[in-house]
Amino acid sequence: MTSLFLKLGVIGILATQTLYAVKFNDCYRIEDIKLPAGAPPEVGAIDIASDGTLFIVLRRGDVFRAKPTRDPAAFDWQLFASGFDNGCGLDIVSPTKIRITQMAEMTEAEDSDGDGSADRFTRFAHGWGLSGNYHETNALTRDGKGGYFIAVGTASFSGPTFKHTLGTFSDAGRRGRNYSAVKWKGWVLHSDAHGKITPWASGFRMANGIYQDPRGELWAGDNQGDWKAITPLYHVEKGKFYGHPNSLVWDPAFTKSKDPLAYYRSRLDEYNRDRTPPAVEMPHMEINRSAGEPMEIPIGSHFAGQMILPDNNGERVTRLMLEEIEGVWQGACTHLIDGRGLRSGNHRARFTADGKQLFLGQTVRGWGIPAEGLQRVTFLGPVPFDIDRIRITRDGFKVSFTHPIPDSLKDAQVWKLSSCTYQPKWTYGSEPENHREHAVRIASSDEKSLTLKVDGLASGRVFRIHFPKCDSPDGSPLQNNLAFYTVNRIPITKPD
Amino acid sequence: MRKLPILLCLALPLFADEPRLTFDNRPMGSIAKPLVLRSYLPDPGLEDSVFSQHDHARKVSKYNPGLGSDVPGEIQPVPGLAAAIGVNFGPSLSYVFDTTECRLLYTWQGGFVDMTPYWGDPDKGSRVSFDYVPRLVGTLFWQASGPDPIELDGKSIQQLGPRVFTGYRLENDTPIFEFATGSTRFTLSITPSNKPLSCDLTLTSSSAAALSWRGIDSPPATGKLTVTLVGSDLSKFQGYQRDNKITTASAAAGETLFNQYGCAACHSIDGSKSHGPSVGKLAGHPVEIEGLDQPVLADRAYLLESIKAPNAKIVKGYPPNYMPPFGLPEAEYDSLILYIQSLDKPE
Repeated sequence: MTSLFLKLGVIGILATQTLYAVKFNDCYRIEDIKLPAGAPPEVGAIDIASDGTLFIVLRRGDVFRAKPTRDPAAFDWQLFASGFDNGCGLDIVSPTKIRITQMAEMTEAEDSDGDGSADRFTRFAHGWGLSGNYHETNALTRDGKGGYFIAVGTASFSGPTFKHTLGTFSDAGRRGRNYSAVKWKGWVLHSDAHGKITPWASGFRMANGIYQDPRGELWAGDNQGDWKAITPLYHVEKGKFYGHPNSLVWDPAFTKSKDPLAYYRSRLDEYNRDRTPPAVEMPHMEINRSAGEPMEIPIGSHFAGQMILPDNNGERVTRLMLEEIEGVWQGACTHLIDGRGLRSGNHRARFTADGKQLFLGQTVRGWGIPAEGLQRVTFLGPVPFDIDRIRITRDGFKVSFTHPIPDSLKDAQVWKLSSCTYQPKWTYGSEPENHREHAVRIASSDEKSLTLKVDGLASGRVFRIHFPKCDSPDGSPLQNNLAFYTVNRIPITKPD
Repeated sequence: MRKLPILLCLALPLFADEPRLTFDNRPMGSIAKPLVLRSYLPDPGLEDSVFSQHDHARKVSKYNPGLGSDVPGEIQPVPGLAAAIGVNFGPSLSYVFDTTECRLLYTWQGGFVDMTPYWGDPDKGSRVSFDYVPRLVGTLFWQASGPDPIELDGKSIQQLGPRVFTGYRLENDTPIFEFATGSTRFTLSITPSNKPLSCDLTLTSSSAAALSWRGIDSPPATGKLTVTLVGSDLSKFQGYQRDNKITTASAAAGETLFNQYGCAACHSIDGSKSHGPSVGKLAGHPVEIEGLDQPVLADRAYLLESIKAPNAKIVKGYPPNYMPPFGLPEAEYDSLILYIQSLDKPE
């Protein structure tokens, strides 16, 4: 089997060097990693140590580790630690020391006597409450200075709170669909290197994954639902409010009302002024139903520097093409992989140090069909024929591709652009509004790209960019022919 | 990790020296390898005074997510422990230590916990939660009451100020909890005793004051105290008992099942959107199905098929492969259908 993969890899590499068609299977290999026998493979979080050891936290409480092997069924899993409540954030400090965000606190587990399993469990950071609701899981990312950003999930109205809560209880915070009955639910917190926490940003419903990129920009997704029109990706900045009102009961600077849910429900215009919109909005049916952990594609793979966003509720991983326009982040989304043997439940992502492999941790529990486990995506080398980038111009979009494009794409008639707006509110998701079709002209084109002049380009809208499936002149089939660009800002450039 | 003798290892499955959490809803440790489980844990009826470092949740108005506002009715908070740690030594001892109160809350013997409500019924895939608090298994023999029983010079440490949990360490795999009040540090370990309905407590303090455990006579001790906590048969628990005992189908039984099986997490009953289509005003109405030109009538046969084989007809706009098939007794199917049909009638 291994040798077959090797041969395929060699053929794939040859394919980039010749004019043979490059198909999906030449570019990506998706494997199921066999997990420890007998353990329900509900993967809460994953991380890779500096020596390449992969650690996984299972939601019932065990932490396993193994050195990845070429054979996906041959990982030699060892139990490193146990006793965590729904650990959904994991940082490997060293091969013998890990930190986990569990429900009530962030815990450091260390193997202090070198026998292979943790024997010291030290509270690292705490200070958020726990109401007794099942939905209140937490995720983490390193801050680059020895500390962390921690995304604290809200509770769901499908579950109760306990009579006695960890931390102060708020009646107003408890109201509504997804709620913030105790402190910092729906917030991103900062923890310094000593575990001291500071509230950082509010308005999240369930940021199931948070990520600081190599340049220090902080990103978090969220889940379509109440006050989340479709699936958003946020560029997270200190002090900003990202739209889910309940978290504001814990914000001393929010003095407009003691009941932010009721206040904004009847004041959507003011709500829109007060909130920071997503950098990217992802239509939940077409692109991503529930955002997992964002992760930048590292050097070593095609699309390096772009970002992936696992779909916790679809057999797919989203690819995000972000750009900063006059200080405001925005960009396009399409699929990195849609189907092709990928499971659903994708929510944690780690690339190997060489950038050529991506591990995806998966879990769906509590409702629905279990979609869980660990999968490995190997970037085999050849580059698929795909959308490479979509950039905004002052009057349209520049769409570039990874391979030469056929002449058929250079006909403006084949480009179908439409746009709409989304108003997050108390409903579970929001329907698109203010739909518009946009006439398109091809302003210019070259071997691999086109510049589209779009009639009626406007900010505050999500543009659907659709064109026919086609092959590159080398015969490579196009992987994606649908993308969405969220226009927060149109670049101001001098007229030509 | 404790190493078992080689001969014993050979006789056991490969992972026997790594007692991992499995699909077994009644996980157990042993005296040699106690199991530490962090999860929401049951409150067997602890008195309010024990929760001095918690807040009290209050009832909340029922919320209608379709209207986006409150409706008549109330939701009451339920008993449970949010941030406690359960430890089991096999049948000889189980206990719950709470990281918020920094104290031992209760002890029992003869079993540990039944995780079925949270981990899910194995017959239904072991994943579908219907509530989130495990049930106790065994004989409860002691539970906390009043102020913290740890005393320095005869005074409860509760009077010294807030108790702060700092972590625990495993010594020979047995947890030793660590906490502090002010600059005084404490450790507490709880281990099985040879006496019936009892356990041994080992307490240390960094203070030079006399250390005692309220209610247990012991010689004066400084720095370290070992005592036996002798309890009595307070109550017995059998874990999670599922017996819906539905012999005659009814809409009322259907409503109970609808919540018990977690249907409510995805299907609203008021027409509002959620993960799955609403069951409100569904029965007797046409439904748009993926891949079909004509709508399908949501009659009894449709509803039954949608519970038994959810993928057979996917409602337009909703994902396939999302709802698990439910294999239920006939009276439960009938009850669920009667309940869904009852949601079609004006209130």
